[in-house]
Amino acid sequence: MKFVFTRGRFNRFLVAASAACVMLAAIVVPLPVQASLPRAHTVRIDARTFAFTPGVVSVRRGDTVTLELEALDAVHGLYVDGYDVNLVAEPGNSAAATFVADKEGKFKFRCSVACGALHPFMLGELNVEPNLPFARALLITLAGVMGALALFWR
Amino acid sequence: MKRELFALAILALGVIVFPAALFVYQARQTNAGDARIIELVANAPHNGGWTPDVIRVRAGERVRLRISSPDVVHGLDIPALGVHVDEILPGHVQEVEFVATRAGRYAFACTRWCSVDHWRMRGVIEVTDAANASRPPVTFAPPLYQQLGIDLDAMHFAHNIPPRRPSAARGAALPLNVRADFRTQAPGDVFETLRADVANRAFDDSQLWDALAFAYFQNAGSDALANGARLYARDCAACHGERGDGTGPAGRNLPGLTVMHPDMARGPANFTDAASMLGASDVLLQGKVLRGGMGTGMPEWGSLYADQDLWDVVAFLRTFTFDSNLGK
Amino acid sequence: MTTVRFELTRSALLKRVLTSRWVPWLFMALTLPVFWLAILAGLFGTPAGSRNFGIVLVWIVWWALLMLVMVPCAGRLWCAICPIPAPGEWLQRRALLEPRAGGRLYTLGWKFPRRLKNIWLQNMAFLAVGLFSIVILTTPFVSALVLFGFVALAIMTSMLFERRVFCRYLCPVGGFIGLYSQVAPIEVRVKDAAVCKTHTEKTCYQGSANGYGCPWLVYPAALAKNTYCGMCTECLKTCPRDNIGIFLRAPGKDLETTQGRRLDEAYKALIMLTCALAYSIVLLGPWSVLKEAAYAVGTAAWWLYALIFLATNLAFVPGIFFVCTTFARNLSFQKFSRRRMFVEYAYALIPLGLAAWMAFTVSFVFVNFSYAWQVASDPFGWGWNLFGSADWTWTPYLAGMQAYFQIPILLGGLIWAIGITQRTARTQNVPPRAALPVVAFCAAFTVALLWLYV
Repeated sequence: MKFVFTRGRFNRFLVAASAACVMLAAIVVPLPVQASLPRAHTVRIDARTFAFTPGVVSVRRGDTVTLELEALDAVHGLYVDGYDVNLVAEPGNSAAATFVADKEGKFKFRCSVACGALHPFMLGELNVEPNLPFARALLITLAGVMGALALFWR
Repeated sequence: MKRELFALAILALGVIVFPAALFVYQARQTNAGDARIIELVANAPHNGGWTPDVIRVRAGERVRLRISSPDVVHGLDIPALGVHVDEILPGHVQEVEFVATRAGRYAFACTRWCSVDHWRMRGVIEVTDAANASRPPVTFAPPLYQQLGIDLDAMHFAHNIPPRRPSAARGAALPLNVRADFRTQAPGDVFETLRADVANRAFDDSQLWDALAFAYFQNAGSDALANGARLYARDCAACHGERGDGTGPAGRNLPGLTVMHPDMARGPANFTDAASMLGASDVLLQGKVLRGGMGTGMPEWGSLYADQDLWDVVAFLRTFTFDSNLGK
Repeated sequence: MTTVRFELTRSALLKRVLTSRWVPWLFMALTLPVFWLAILAGLFGTPAGSRNFGIVLVWIVWWALLMLVMVPCAGRLWCAICPIPAPGEWLQRRALLEPRAGGRLYTLGWKFPRRLKNIWLQNMAFLAVGLFSIVILTTPFVSALVLFGFVALAIMTSMLFERRVFCRYLCPVGGFIGLYSQVAPIEVRVKDAAVCKTHTEKTCYQGSANGYGCPWLVYPAALAKNTYCGMCTECLKTCPRDNIGIFLRAPGKDLETTQGRRLDEAYKALIMLTCALAYSIVLLGPWSVLKEAAYAVGTAAWWLYALIFLATNLAFVPGIFFVCTTFARNLSFQKFSRRRMFVEYAYALIPLGLAAWMAFTVSFVFVNFSYAWQVASDPFGWGWNLFGSADWTWTPYLAGMQAYFQIPILLGGLIWAIGITQRTARTQNVPPRAALPVVAFCAAFTVALLWLYV
């Protein structure tokens, strides 16, 4: 079966190829971000079996964050993905760490000391705003959908 | 047919021999020859506590404890036998050996906060010595507070409270040498004596308190403070708070003094309360730690702490009202 | 449409290996003791899940291997070496390797009820395991009981029914890897259908002195999709005309036709999507109230959780999809039945679902993989140190980098799913705009997962 290059087919491939370019560009293109002065945050995170309170911590990129881990009922740990922060605390012995939130995105924090059955699911989230990775992922998805529709449209 | 038998042999190896070998290996691991092996499971108190919580051994017998935890991190201390296991991680097994030489009952306790009821997690090792059954048991002198006839549950308030936090560093610089029996005299009473002395008229109240604080910590010694700090962090801070103000997470639902009267303070004692702390002598505080709180939620530490440990902890408690730092 | 495929069994060496009785059997002889160890460790070992071989091997190591490697690359290959049906099958055949008595099976030979000859039981089994998953994944004793229960059920059904009834109609794992195997680049098919027409004995299905009839109750000549083929190569051994082969082919070949699309499979595709989303929210989210409700079995909170979990799986999400496909029906100028639209478009969710499960697996597997080194040295948590790795500390691998894997995987699944929806519209002979509502559904699902992960 010969591959006939009709005008319709050419147009579709063009759209699909442009979509692919947009997707690649979305990975690296600088996105508009509202500038703001970096602040210092001190967040106290209470750890009990099997939850962190607060479960979601939001800061802005560039902020200096001090996490204070206070355990309420047993030895718990706090490990922040991506920032390699590891704290261990028990009731009466809290721990703290300070770091600069220089990477934006969503970083899970998890308990790093076995504390019972649901220990692997003892999770929280550190949101370093603006969440550019998510914005990029949305752009890529949008471009991908457009491109795929164009590519497969008959 | 030969292939079938060969396959059957491989299967038997994997499904019968292999697991059997594992169980045999475990049996050999837990058979130490000369030592008696005791499996001690550390459960959080709401799951049963130490299992078993009474361990009976013979004097002179070499005992190996295999300690495991199914839930959270625990620790083990058998003070009288010198056994200290700092960390028992869930799913790990710690082994420790001891030989008890004298008959008696020795308390052991968990040393890592494992639940809000962690302080209940205790057990006892009963050592029998059939060979020396006629030996008289070890006797202990009654605690100092009993010898002195002090009522631990009486109120104790200092009439004079320092205007600012007394500092041992400032007191060190003062040309004032305070001599007092800090063990039996409350700091408030020592202050009254100092204030009443005409020789001290040149000093104001704040300076007298500073000198008192300095003398107190000189008397106690830095080793005592270090040991007291270690014990406080391990055993007290969870209820009484890292800053000594009674707001520790494990103490939130304890009755405290409300067992005496509903209008009185709930929860663990606040060591930053100067009026109360300065009106209590060291022997009174030591007695409370030793005896426990009679329904307030305060555990008794007399069965676990050596005498010196009790005095060290009390000395450390003073750092919540006095500043013990001698540096800049 | 020309079929582009490459026959692996053309090579004499590969053919010998792939059709040898020893090769899959040895793999089974390996997986069975390991599986047995997992059960024993769960029953007798430490209750601390992270130090128990039963939990770490099954729910981290094997799960990662299955979801990230075996299913995308080799479809249902795991089923050929799975230890769960092995004891039952050997008892049924009264043989380990060599076929006995012309492929005869020693079973009561009950016929499996016709009304249950579909994957509805597997759908329900998967939901049941899913409902209790937070307990099963974290409690070694419970996990061991579940696995032991599967083996016991497999043995029982082997003794009562014909062939591999457990695998075909009961196994919850088989339910979804069968569906996702349609995406795989490998297949077992007849080489030339004309040859089968002239062969009356049909030894591929009935069995012969050389081997057993298809344990999966599949008639090889009619096999058009991978869904129910367990790649056991029994048919390659029994075909006297050497007319069956193992082929490499384009991925997702089975999704190119809308032939044979069924409601039970459509529902399975939707259930898998919903469960991936549900687990990402409950197990991996920061909302502890959900986890506690899911864990406290028997309490009022748990009943509410169970109700919402099951209603979402069986009613809400399929309901939303039904609205989308009905919309699609309105956009086509043909008036197919709503049911037909629902069923045919649901197959686009297969690459999407596989991508979702791969992304979900990436979330937790690398961060917790280091437990594998510990349990290798101390499977029971009894204080052993067989290989010296028992005291290695937990080290999260690729922590903070999961999104870089999840985004391409999810995008790949979405684009593929869009392709399938367009193809479905084309096969139905309707304009491409009819696919748009389903495309919107797929895109919305992908964005929801991206929002949870990134």
